[in-house]
Amino acid sequence: MKLEEYKKIVNKNSGKEDKFKNVFISFIIGGFMGLLCQMFCTFLNKEIGIKIEDASMYTTIMLIVVSSIFTGFGFFDKVVSFAKCGLIVPTTGFAHAMTSAAMDHKSEGIIKGIGSNMFKLAGSIIIYGIIVAFFLALIKGVI
Amino acid sequence: MTLEFKNAYIKNNYTLIGRNEHKIQIKTDANLNDYYDEEKSVEQAEAKFQIKSIENLIKKEKLDFKDIDVLIGGDLQSQIFASSFAARKFDLPFLGIYSACATFVEGLISASNLLDNKINNVIVTTSAHNLASEKQFRFPIEYGALRKKVNTFTATGSVSALISKKPTNIRIETGTIGKVVDLGYNDANNFGACMAPSAAKTISEHLNDTKRTIDYYDLVLTGDLGIYGVKILKEYLKKEYKIEANNVMDAGSILFEKNELTTIAGGSGPVCLPLVLFGSILNENYKKILLVGTGSLHSKTSCNLGESIPSVSHAISLEVLK
Repeated sequence: MKLEEYKKIVNKNSGKEDKFKNVFISFIIGGFMGLLCQMFCTFLNKEIGIKIEDASMYTTIMLIVVSSIFTGFGFFDKVVSFAKCGLIVPTTGFAHAMTSAAMDHKSEGIIKGIGSNMFKLAGSIIIYGIIVAFFLALIKGVI
Repeated sequence: MTLEFKNAYIKNNYTLIGRNEHKIQIKTDANLNDYYDEEKSVEQAEAKFQIKSIENLIKKEKLDFKDIDVLIGGDLQSQIFASSFAARKFDLPFLGIYSACATFVEGLISASNLLDNKINNVIVTTSAHNLASEKQFRFPIEYGALRKKVNTFTATGSVSALISKKPTNIRIETGTIGKVVDLGYNDANNFGACMAPSAAKTISEHLNDTKRTIDYYDLVLTGDLGIYGVKILKEYLKKEYKIEANNVMDAGSILFEKNELTTIAGGSGPVCLPLVLFGSILNENYKKILLVGTGSLHSKTSCNLGESIPSVSHAISLEVLK
């Protein structure tokens, strides 16, 4: 049997993802996250008197710390399986990728385990982030 | 390639399951509560699962280690770590095997074949650990990778079976060694679809070699195709081999029936098939059973290289005498 023909059988019999529902949940949760962070940022700025640039940085740090702790306690993946990309796309997903890889390889030691495996998933985000940033800076400099 | 066995019988078995499997509907000998089982890592815990299942099988059967001639073991970890490290605990000749999730059936075929020589008792053992194999084949454990509906869930546990020359009521009648099949399908999320063609090929070759029809068997039990994989297998068998199979069930989809994990396509891993066989199928009224272990032979590297996923299925037929 040809692959195309086989793929037809597979598609006919496999469970389909509910894309519309997934997008909708991600949209709502992602938006809610944005709202929450903005409230936190404004609170830091207005009530405590931190400069707005610093306040947004603290907000990001707060996100990373909270999601890493959630990962450590083992329920971030359960939340994500409901919230989908609403929690993967923000910094939470990045923090989560690093923490989970570090936890995974903890038993192999600090150097060969945690150290060399922590950036397993996050490494590509960092390296291509830097490359893109370089070219964007170059374009901005020229213009 | 189908072999006939004159004197191979399944004498006893010991099944042990992990934490996520506690709610499954089938009977087991032991339920573990801890993923680590007091070990430092999940990999070592899996080796301990195997040690426990082998030791308890021997205890259950009131045998001594000197009565066992050969130990055959396999699992999903790199270099079959769990089996090798379990085997170092015992003073037994050891054969390590790997056919991914078809490992147990491969072990039964090898064991039955050995029994035609001067060997009396063989232990076939296999194990799987959800966390260890997720780390091995998919993503880090706590990485919240989204599970698709077609994803299967590796069942945690270990099963050991004692294969003996002494007649019992479960006879291993024939064994078919499967060929590696690859249609070019490459979705590593949908293992059912990857493995269905090889299961179909092995079933059809078994039926040709033994000159039987599929209705000869009361039940054809596949390993871990999942709920969608079985449907694919049935349609593929009909279209490609003109076999109308109404007596096919899948151990993976039985294992996690009525469970909180119903959002996924079923269980997978080498322990699925033996757990369901010993815990449920053999207690029911099936006389002639064809077991088809299905294994997907990919690795993380092969997927990253863009290779398609080859798979292999081995089959044995059992005769249950009551």
